[in-house]
Amino acid sequence: MEQPDINVVYNVKHQLPLIIYIGQYFFFTGLSAGSFVISVIATLLGRKEFKPIGKITAILAPILLIIAPLNLIADLEQPLRFWHLFLYYNWTSPITYGSFLLTAYPIMGIIYAIMVYTNRQTAAKILGILGIPLAISVHGYTGFILALAKARALWNTAAMPTIFLVSAMVSGIGLVVIVAAIRWKWFDKKATPEQREQDKRLILQLAQFMAYTIMLDLFLVVSDILVLLTAHSDALEAGMLILTGNFAPLFVGVEIILGALIPMVLVLGPTRKSLTAAVVASILVNIGVYAMRFVMVIGGQTIPLS
Amino acid sequence: MAEKRYAMVIDVRRCISCFACSVACKAEMKVPLEVFATWLKIVEKGQDPNAQRFVLPRLCNNCGNPICTRNCPTRATWQREDGIVLVDQHRCIGCKYCIASCPYDVRYVNPLKNLVQKCYWCHHRLDAGLVPACVETCPTRALTFGDVNDPKSEVSKLLATSATQVLKKEMQTEPFVYYIGADEVAMSNVEEEINYYTESTLIKIRI
Repeated sequence: MEQPDINVVYNVKHQLPLIIYIGQYFFFTGLSAGSFVISVIATLLGRKEFKPIGKITAILAPILLIIAPLNLIADLEQPLRFWHLFLYYNWTSPITYGSFLLTAYPIMGIIYAIMVYTNRQTAAKILGILGIPLAISVHGYTGFILALAKARALWNTAAMPTIFLVSAMVSGIGLVVIVAAIRWKWFDKKATPEQREQDKRLILQLAQFMAYTIMLDLFLVVSDILVLLTAHSDALEAGMLILTGNFAPLFVGVEIILGALIPMVLVLGPTRKSLTAAVVASILVNIGVYAMRFVMVIGGQTIPLS
Repeated sequence: MAEKRYAMVIDVRRCISCFACSVACKAEMKVPLEVFATWLKIVEKGQDPNAQRFVLPRLCNNCGNPICTRNCPTRATWQREDGIVLVDQHRCIGCKYCIASCPYDVRYVNPLKNLVQKCYWCHHRLDAGLVPACVETCPTRALTFGDVNDPKSEVSKLLATSATQVLKKEMQTEPFVYYIGADEVAMSNVEEEINYYTESTLIKIRI
């Protein structure tokens, strides 16, 4: 039997609750968490050639995490009431975890940066080890914000927090590569040629590490979509929305092709010895991750609920 | 005597889609333009000569296991013992996470006050011994309101004797708005292909 034509004659839809500020906030916390993890890895390895990267990332992480919550406050309908988050906390809400994590993490990041810059290695190592779980939870909880909003089929998957963490690593490393390359190009003139060569090699190694995290990210995204396509009807609709629907250009075009496949080829392909290719790949990766946040936050809400 | 637990039973077969519930709600709760706490969803099946219309009155389900109270970061959304989910207008910060979490799209941002609001089943009227404004005004008595824990109430009798449905049972929210004779297509989310009242369907994407 053929289905009859179905037209919605009248229905009410309220405006999208979460807007681009939220996606931007996810992007900035991701950058911060990613660069913090890189900084701690550099500090823990303790080798002399990792020092510049450890220093750059130590200062990037708290700066980015001071910018990030401004997006959240701008998104509030009552921005002057933001302090209610601390006074009237609700332990079942992921936003409450976030408001405390977002306070603790930048403070820790600033202390860690001071330790790194004043060369107190042991203190920096201890703070770094303590800080990694904090950095992971600061970004991981943002995945839970989406995953626990159960109304939206695109968000309500167990893969969401992990996808957010891995894409945070991707974009964070990308940012570190860009900043380290700027430093190498213009602010590293005093170093000896051997040292410069070493620094360049280090940046290229970071870019390769980024390519491997992109692979992990792609695996997670593909598995998420495969499950969406075989789950219930709303999930199928969500999967089709990003694969063939309105958000396909952003998801397939920008996030997957421009933001993941092309950077991977640039970094691992014939141009793998070129610093320019690494920087271009890092910029593309950051565009791709930003598109991913946009698709997730805005796209997830465009599927009609009634 | 068990505690009160309010519920609403909507006999869709009686609904004549007159929008009186929506108008009464607007007047009673001072719901501004552009947003609605109660409305009718109208779906048309088939081509013009044989087209059939199906209606579904929509309002907050005041769920038994509401996701909005669980996700509200400031406990501004809270549930009374009789099941009504309220929003503390002095505490709400407008993070809109409850709107994003609600599977029924019944919450809205009041554009005049910049606060999240919803249907409260007219709790001020209930406390005064009246029924909600939409129930009071419905000309065909399609809406029935009462206490499910009282076996003599009209809702208990209707629930005991009729085949009822709820919206999105799979969401585990335990909705307390029951429908009798609602159409399956009207209850599911359908893509809007043709819209006769384009101005009325308020899809605003703020980017």
